[in-house]
Amino acid sequence: MTVAERTRPGRGAVGASPRPGRRRPRGRSTRPWLLLAPALLVMGGLLLYPLVRVLVLSLQDFGLRELVSGRTNWVGFDNYAELLANPDLWRTVLPNTVVFAVVAVALTVVVGTLVALLLARLSPVVRGLVTTAILVAWAIPAVTGTYVWVFIFTPVDGIAVQALDALGLIDAATANPFSDRLSFYAVATLNVVHHGFPFVALTVLAGLLTIPQELTEAAVIDGAGPWRRFWSLTFPMLRPVFAVVTVLSTIWDFKVFTQIYLMPGGDGVNRNVLTLGTWSYVESFAQNRYGLGAAIAVLLTALLLIITAVYLRLLFREEEL
Amino acid sequence: MWSRPGSRGTRRAAVALLAVSALAVAGCGGGGGGADAGGDRTLTVWIMEGTNPDPTSYITELSAAFQERTGATLDVQFLQWASAHDRFVTAIAGGTTPDVAEVGTTWIAEFGDAGALVDLGPRIQEAGLSDGLVDGLVEAGTLGAALYGMPWYAGVRSIVYRTDVFTELGLEPPTTWDELVAVGQAVKEGRPDLVPLPIAGDNEFAVYPFLWGAGGEIATQDGGTWTSHVDSPESRAGIQFYADLALRHGLSTPAAANWRETHLKDAFTKGEAAMIFAGSWTPKAILEDAPELEGKIGAFPIPGPDGGLAPSVLGGSLLSVFESSDDQDLAWQLVEMMGTGEFAAKWAAESSYFPGTEELLNEAAQSSDPLVAPFARQMVESGRSVPVTPAFGQIQGNKTIAAMMRSILTGEATVEQATSTAAAEMNEIFAGGA
Repeated sequence: MTVAERTRPGRGAVGASPRPGRRRPRGRSTRPWLLLAPALLVMGGLLLYPLVRVLVLSLQDFGLRELVSGRTNWVGFDNYAELLANPDLWRTVLPNTVVFAVVAVALTVVVGTLVALLLARLSPVVRGLVTTAILVAWAIPAVTGTYVWVFIFTPVDGIAVQALDALGLIDAATANPFSDRLSFYAVATLNVVHHGFPFVALTVLAGLLTIPQELTEAAVIDGAGPWRRFWSLTFPMLRPVFAVVTVLSTIWDFKVFTQIYLMPGGDGVNRNVLTLGTWSYVESFAQNRYGLGAAIAVLLTALLLIITAVYLRLLFREEEL
Repeated sequence: MWSRPGSRGTRRAAVALLAVSALAVAGCGGGGGGADAGGDRTLTVWIMEGTNPDPTSYITELSAAFQERTGATLDVQFLQWASAHDRFVTAIAGGTTPDVAEVGTTWIAEFGDAGALVDLGPRIQEAGLSDGLVDGLVEAGTLGAALYGMPWYAGVRSIVYRTDVFTELGLEPPTTWDELVAVGQAVKEGRPDLVPLPIAGDNEFAVYPFLWGAGGEIATQDGGTWTSHVDSPESRAGIQFYADLALRHGLSTPAAANWRETHLKDAFTKGEAAMIFAGSWTPKAILEDAPELEGKIGAFPIPGPDGGLAPSVLGGSLLSVFESSDDQDLAWQLVEMMGTGEFAAKWAAESSYFPGTEELLNEAAQSSDPLVAPFARQMVESGRSVPVTPAFGQIQGNKTIAAMMRSILTGEATVEQATSTAAAEMNEIFAGGA
């Protein structure tokens, strides 16, 4: 917009043009669009098209045969009706997805913030060391990380199972952390929080370093303790930062797939631990019901939009966004 | 126009656009398989791997021989059985299917029905091969009048055990279900460091021998409609016995509720299990990884409840050509080469699978090898097919039986509840069609 506004005055004022009598090319007003075109093309191709395609698919009965033959079979909102009438959605899939995401986001943001506060107090050299250590957790691919956590919690001889057995909390001979819904998700949460907190820590740290030293000193002189300083000074100043990390973590944790799918039973064998993401995959690719899978994906997207909006409304006043 | 300075921006934008579209085109160009234009033809081939011996040397020889004969090179990719179904389906969806692939007997109807596979019937007929093929494999690959694959190998599962442990404890291979329990309990008492007979949750092929052995059925067809029978009293009794090996008799380990067949092999290879349900191809793979077990491995057929043999799934693979292949003639040449003669025999010998042609199979069944004979007996005397319908591939994809066994083994559901749930799921899929 600014480009267009700046060029407008030149249109009538002949003196502004280096060569009098030269006509402005009519393409002038289209220039911003041309400049935007590459970005729009990429976004349209990579984001908009798949989104529209998923919406269209969700209104069809689309199986392997339709896929190969290219025929379409419109069924209106049948997929959605089937989906919403499925008791499993309300009993297991939706609670799993929502509760897991809420817990994982809360833990990720809290742990990340605590680590950021720690980092801010360290000397540059030590901070560099700790940051490197944290970045390793972030750099591990989700697949590798998940297998490591599964390995740690392997029944009978996994190191965590042995440790919990030594503490007398479980019996290593009979316990299977991946059987029970709660313990399955406890392991998944550990995995996701471990993988997600470095991003939060580094982002919050960047914000912390922008808070002027004087403000903290003034607060200390006023007699504010660390708790008070965080809530009255740090948090209000870093609201936008927290908005970003919370929303991003929410989006990531809601659509978490790899970390669930690769855990024992997470690929659909254990029906109690399905999430919207893994369920959509199982329906689409194991069942060849792409229409229903797409409907689940649409539901997930809608849910994500609503929750993100509510989050932002609750946490932050409108004018701050 | 191009001489005017004002158009510079437009030109730049055009250049940027061009660059982006070039990138996009390059992005689309990658991936996919098939033959390139020009002289060097390449066939993409998918081969399964899981509990079988390492096939690398066979593939190297095959590639060399095929190149010599046709001048085309092979791009062979190995797929894990556990994730292969999804890989096939996503490849069909994305148009990145291979030219030739090994397709499991229980999936071929599903992919063929979808129109992804070439009907090889006419070519097999033309080559004069139709008569000598193993019936069970032909049946699995046939849908309507079309035959969607060339039988490559057959396999059957029995029980592989540690002969040294049996000798030490003075045990004999069991011939009835009661004896199986007794042997398991003797191992449990005599060798507490071993898991006598781990029961894996995600291993449907070990469930069916007991389901069938007790007189049950997986599903039956009546006038074109399939109905699940896993919730019949006989099937339930068989499943109950199988689950009780773990639950009541404690012959398994709790971890096994999440195991697959590959985990059974791993446990045996590590020397942690005394008996496992395993295919004829597994002992060789075990010895590859654990040479110290040489001479300590034996096999016995899965017994029937009161003697005889329990029916065991006659599984296996067919070699299929995909519709999307650019050069179906060349692909068929490869299939014919792998499925007949020298290379079929070599594959059977090296992999310990049973060959897909009657002639070679009969030869293998006469074997006196203690690691082959029990499997051959199980296959010839009591090999049995799972329901031949595209819907059964879908049921497998849905992991219905695995989910059922897992919930029973973890104690979340009784056999009655779990079989009812599974039967309902199966009937829904049968009713919905593929």
